[in-house]
Amino acid sequence: MIEQIQAKAKELLENEQVSCVIGYETATDGGTRPAFIYDPDDVDRLVWNQQCHYNLVNYLHDKKKPPKRGADIPSVAVIVKPCDSRTINLLVGESQIKRENIHVIGLTCTGMLENGEIQTRCQHCTIRSPLVYDTLIGEPPTEEISDDFEDVAEIEAMAPEERLNFWLSEFDRCIRCYACRQACPGCYCTVCEFDRDDSLWIGMQNEMPEKYFFHTFRAMHLAGRCVECNACELACPMDIPLSLLNRKLTKEMEELFDHRGGMTTEPTPFVTLMKDGEISLI
Amino acid sequence: MIFITHHNLLAWLGKLKEDRTLIAPQDIGKGHIRYRPVSDIEEITFDYTQPEMSAKEFLFPQTDRLMRIEKRGDEVTLHDYLLEKEQIIFGLRPCDAHGFLAFDALFLEQDPPDVYYARRREMTTLVGISCPQMWENCFCTSVGGAPDDPSHLDVLLTAVGDGYAVKAATSKGKALLASAETQEVTDLTLPEIPKNETVPILPAEDWPALFNDQYWARLGERCLSCKLCTYVCPTCRCFDLRDEEVLSGTGIVIHDRMRVWDACTAPNYRTIAGGHNSRATKGQRIRNRYYCKFHYYPKDFGPLGCVGCGRCIEACPVNIDIKEMLAQVADLHEKVEA
Repeated sequence: MIEQIQAKAKELLENEQVSCVIGYETATDGGTRPAFIYDPDDVDRLVWNQQCHYNLVNYLHDKKKPPKRGADIPSVAVIVKPCDSRTINLLVGESQIKRENIHVIGLTCTGMLENGEIQTRCQHCTIRSPLVYDTLIGEPPTEEISDDFEDVAEIEAMAPEERLNFWLSEFDRCIRCYACRQACPGCYCTVCEFDRDDSLWIGMQNEMPEKYFFHTFRAMHLAGRCVECNACELACPMDIPLSLLNRKLTKEMEELFDHRGGMTTEPTPFVTLMKDGEISLI
Repeated sequence: MIFITHHNLLAWLGKLKEDRTLIAPQDIGKGHIRYRPVSDIEEITFDYTQPEMSAKEFLFPQTDRLMRIEKRGDEVTLHDYLLEKEQIIFGLRPCDAHGFLAFDALFLEQDPPDVYYARRREMTTLVGISCPQMWENCFCTSVGGAPDDPSHLDVLLTAVGDGYAVKAATSKGKALLASAETQEVTDLTLPEIPKNETVPILPAEDWPALFNDQYWARLGERCLSCKLCTYVCPTCRCFDLRDEEVLSGTGIVIHDRMRVWDACTAPNYRTIAGGHNSRATKGQRIRNRYYCKFHYYPKDFGPLGCVGCGRCIEACPVNIDIKEMLAQVADLHEKVEA
């Protein structure tokens, strides 16, 4: 697949269809890291393997504005896995990116590794081929996978007090570094509630009420928007099982509203929608 | 040479704990090792590389309450929070102690000194353990440190046989050791610690030539703008200060003045009234972080703002690697000068 990925990236850059290809390259620790390729001669830096866990769509937030006043919004290509492709739907549906500015190089996927094992979320992933793409690379696997939310069942089986204690003991390690929020493509508010200078809702100290509030508040804001890319959990230096928290809300949203984030460009029923014409009033 | 057995070391720590706060590396869950106050000697772990957060947590806490402002009716009372109990940080790696050099240069040696830091520094004794090896991301020997450097500690222990070689590096350390059961030995050979390859450090005066290079924008591109690298860093010391209401009721309002860690890598760090942000891009922010460590800080205060612990490399979710940056910057400077 990597030859095809590099050839496509080269072609897009040489034809000046895009100014940048966002992909993966080898990291200094032997894993991978996000790479931004501007020069067609640099495409051989691109790699593809089971350590390419980053959701690169997150970086499209940096490409929403023209680099200079009066210039055009840049066209970029981005490499997406099936889960990441849901982020394209999410951000198009929420009017964050313009589909025509993005060339989506979609890759089929058999799951990403974490510490040598297939990630839990990948074991439940039902989409193995990107939902949105301009170029598709790879053969979609044929095996059927159904998501039974087995991972969520474990916390649901706990008594409320036990469940609360479980989450409190996990949140206790939080240092409020905001790596989870920054890694999340769905967390893009210009001024986050937790960055406000007026402490209106939350204080600045790093103690349990603040940690607890931060994580539950963020999870609620992702209800029906989470694309299950696991970027938050992988960014967390303290191994807080953030995906589990989001998966619980994913399950609730699916059961109550038959909605799952980013499967289509339809926004979550939890956001206020403006009807036709109303948008021009603001 | 002075020697203490592991058994006697634990007994000594137990004694010290009676009237002081003992802080030591502990497993706080899922294998995460942090410095934490010890309630039982058994909680201390000796099986660690370096704790995930540096020991600065106990001289410059993430949430540092400075003062309480209490208003009852018309009467306002102020209360200072100053550390009252002596504390011992045990199990420090030499690089963590080295980190306090940067803190001292700003918080003690500038006029006026910071009373809160000064009190904590005075009330704290640092008992370190030499690193048995330099780990993958370590580069202390490139920035003036060493895995067995006692310079910034009060006591340094080096594991050997069934105990430790003991070195009292200060009079404070010597006084603390008075209650330890040690023995004088002559036939002790300390293990040689293999060193990692050094990383080139561009001299402070050479950095300005690279300030406008596009390197910084490209390096910053994959940065997530989180605060992690600065939080785990033993020398990063930026903070935000606010008075926050902690309680209010009929006739009573209580505010705490607190300072809390801040991070120059976060997008809103430089936002000022009117919404202007003088470091609005990721490249500008990451450049500032590294210029602070290798140019501004040594120029303004003396010590480097980096002790080579490698925590930021380990922690960064997107592999922004300070060692890689230092090598690239040295290369870049050579090209610019050529």
